[in-house]
Amino acid sequence: MSFANLPLLGVFAGIAALAGLLFLLQLLRIRHVEVAVPTTLFWRAAAREAPVRVLSGVFRHPLAYLLVLAICALLWLAFAGPEAAEDRAATYRVLYLDGSAHSAGDDDYERAVDALQGDLAGLPEGRREVVWGGARNYKLLKAGEDRLLLDRRLETLAPEVAPSALNEQLRLLSLSGAGPDSLEFVIYGRAPADAGVVESLPPGIEVRRGIDYAEPADNRGIGALGVNTAASGSWDRVDLLIRIAGNPGVSADGALAVSVGGQSVADDRLQRLADGLVVVRDLPADGRTVEVRLEAADGLPIDDVARLTLPERNVVRIALAGDLDPAIRHAIEADPGLEVAAEDASVVVRPRGSGAFDGLPALEFAPAADQATAFEIAYTGDDSAELALRASVAALGLDQIDAAGLATEAQRPVGVQLQHAELPGISVWSELLAQYNFTGSRSFPLFVSRALRWLAGEPPWHPYLAAGRPVPSASETWSSATVNPAFDALGAEYILGAAGTINPSEGVEQAVALLSDPVTEGHTGTVLDVSEAGGGLASTGLLTWFILAALVLLGAEWFLYQRGLMP
Amino acid sequence: MAQAPTFAELFDPEFLAALAPFELHARRVARDGRPAEKTSRDRGFGLEFADFKSYVPGDDLRAIDWNIYRRLGRLFVRVFEEHRDLPVYLLVDRSSSMYLETPPRIGAGLRVALALAAIALGQHDSVGLYSFSGMLSIDAKAAAGKHRLVPFAERLAALDERDRTDLTGTLRELASHRLRQGLLVVISDFFDPGGAEEIARALGESRHRLLLVQLVKKADADPTLHGDLHGDVRLLDCESAEAVDLTITPATLARYRQSYQEFNEALSRFASDYGVGIVRVDADEDVLDQLGVLFETGTLTV
Repeated sequence: MSFANLPLLGVFAGIAALAGLLFLLQLLRIRHVEVAVPTTLFWRAAAREAPVRVLSGVFRHPLAYLLVLAICALLWLAFAGPEAAEDRAATYRVLYLDGSAHSAGDDDYERAVDALQGDLAGLPEGRREVVWGGARNYKLLKAGEDRLLLDRRLETLAPEVAPSALNEQLRLLSLSGAGPDSLEFVIYGRAPADAGVVESLPPGIEVRRGIDYAEPADNRGIGALGVNTAASGSWDRVDLLIRIAGNPGVSADGALAVSVGGQSVADDRLQRLADGLVVVRDLPADGRTVEVRLEAADGLPIDDVARLTLPERNVVRIALAGDLDPAIRHAIEADPGLEVAAEDASVVVRPRGSGAFDGLPALEFAPAADQATAFEIAYTGDDSAELALRASVAALGLDQIDAAGLATEAQRPVGVQLQHAELPGISVWSELLAQYNFTGSRSFPLFVSRALRWLAGEPPWHPYLAAGRPVPSASETWSSATVNPAFDALGAEYILGAAGTINPSEGVEQAVALLSDPVTEGHTGTVLDVSEAGGGLASTGLLTWFILAALVLLGAEWFLYQRGLMP
Repeated sequence: MAQAPTFAELFDPEFLAALAPFELHARRVARDGRPAEKTSRDRGFGLEFADFKSYVPGDDLRAIDWNIYRRLGRLFVRVFEEHRDLPVYLLVDRSSSMYLETPPRIGAGLRVALALAAIALGQHDSVGLYSFSGMLSIDAKAAAGKHRLVPFAERLAALDERDRTDLTGTLRELASHRLRQGLLVVISDFFDPGGAEEIARALGESRHRLLLVQLVKKADADPTLHGDLHGDVRLLDCESAEAVDLTITPATLARYRQSYQEFNEALSRFASDYGVGIVRVDADEDVLDQLGVLFETGTLTV
């Protein structure tokens, strides 16, 4: 047995101090109160049979002293926070409250909270913590904090529309090398634990569930919602893909209600494919939000609705000035999203030094003799040159250029240089077009198209945005999608939080949907043991027994006192 | 120390008026008393016919029943009962224990003494007042007459507190006075250091008929009613100043109750064996109510 609140030496020192204190009290209790009585005639016999104590004398009732000492010692041991076994003494417990969409159905969340609070009451404050597992994981109650604080903090919390981040928390556990020797991770909720993650945990970390749930009820939900450029070829329209998911044995078909900007889309425009796939073609790419809703109610309504912000694609007006390679005009005219127009132009294409349409972002062509690198990019904003370079390479399609082939033909390196300027601009060697056959490559129209849109400042769009998943990077998107450079400028994944909306730096609000098959299908993850925190032998048990034993002894003392068997 | 009642408090006309229906009757009265209301064993010239007896020379010729002589031819004389007075000796305890508590036992004791004196004087009996503590004190010799009630009450009110109780010595000293046989009423708490056996032995040597009035309080039988008796205490005897150190526990309380019960049982046993009247008067309760119970039929026979 060990103690949560006191070291073993402190416990025994306390008992010894109690024994000494009680001994002194026994001696000090001989102070008499003088009482005058009519006669002492009848008291003499009682005094003879039960002589009074005297200071420093031998105990008249050593058993009574031992009884009182036992009562005090039991209460002291209860105060010390007894724990059952040596391993329990060293165990640190992380109570993980699943606040994800996995526990949003029926009364799953309320049961999880009740079970957690019940187990928490019996754990020593210094060796337990509570972690909230919603869209993100964070500590809800630190070690040492009073558990009453948890009640206040839980008042404002509810399951979030997000997949579980449980496995990320478990991975963190496996990475933290300086943690306690023995750790018990108890999950309250339906969040699935990945078998691989659990198996990779170092020895000493035990993962279990604090509450047992029945199989999830039948459920259907929106498993995927995304857009692509329209198959019809319309540059200002997109096709919407919807996938309905369901837990095993449940049909993926179901009545859908689709609306764009609050206006319903007619059912005959919903083209149903196999396996619950539905396509809505040629939706206007006007930046409105499309909402898809499953009409039939089920046990988990949180996944029955999903929203997505459609791309906003406007015609970019391009002014052409000076003597330009004809391939440039051809590339612009081949893109229906671009229009050659001198009036109200957003971007100008010109030879360097022409000075035409000064004040507009410009795609310029300059002799190689006047420009050190093949591509010179002027960028605005606060990003560093490195960040801007990474964003530009993807946004301009430079990563698609056969730079090695061009360099071979030019017999000089083909590089990119960035500089900060008040206006964005791109300057390219004119020789790349005239001599080195850049215009003949497949990447030339892509470069022209993207470069002009980048210069026009066209807002980025995303094929989908799903809660708990990273913003799709350029490599994962369809060919024409652009990506907010702030999201992947460093190559890091930007993990979205709960479903709802986000506001990237450009200020274009984007809808984020749940889109989680594990949630909809009721994934349970790897099977874990189910038991309360502390394995059913928490300190509460011993504490209760100590207090009960003290109460029994107090009752015995009262019984003996009433019968005159002890003073 | 609590105070004994003053004369004004003691001599309460309502209290005395309430005693009017009560009578004190003795089964036997000494022969050599003066004429009064008590029927004595003497046959003589009283008013109530008692019996016939054969005539012997010297008998009063006026007592010869001539009717019997005519029918039987023998001389018989009528014998009448003679009524004598009953000397009542009130022996009142004035030791410290009678004055200790609130209310003190002496208050009830004096009221009982006054009540018995009033009843006896009302029957033309003579009443004497004696008090005792460590020694006997003759406060009023036995005398009859209703007019003596006021002086008697004044003597009672004048009794003051003395030291210790020596009932056995007092009784022996009283016996040496060779008083005419009568009724000796002992009004006391009987807390004599010699214990109940010594008291009984001394009382048994008395020539008088006895009436024991034991003044008790509820805390005598149940000391838990005494507010200070708990924990470790030093009990001080108010008369001897003897100290008894004690831890009050259920066991010691039980032992006390046993001793007190044995004491009372010894007194009761003595009263039963010797045909002595014993009355326990609660000093905390109204004396008149308790006398009403004692004189339930209007007459107390001793």
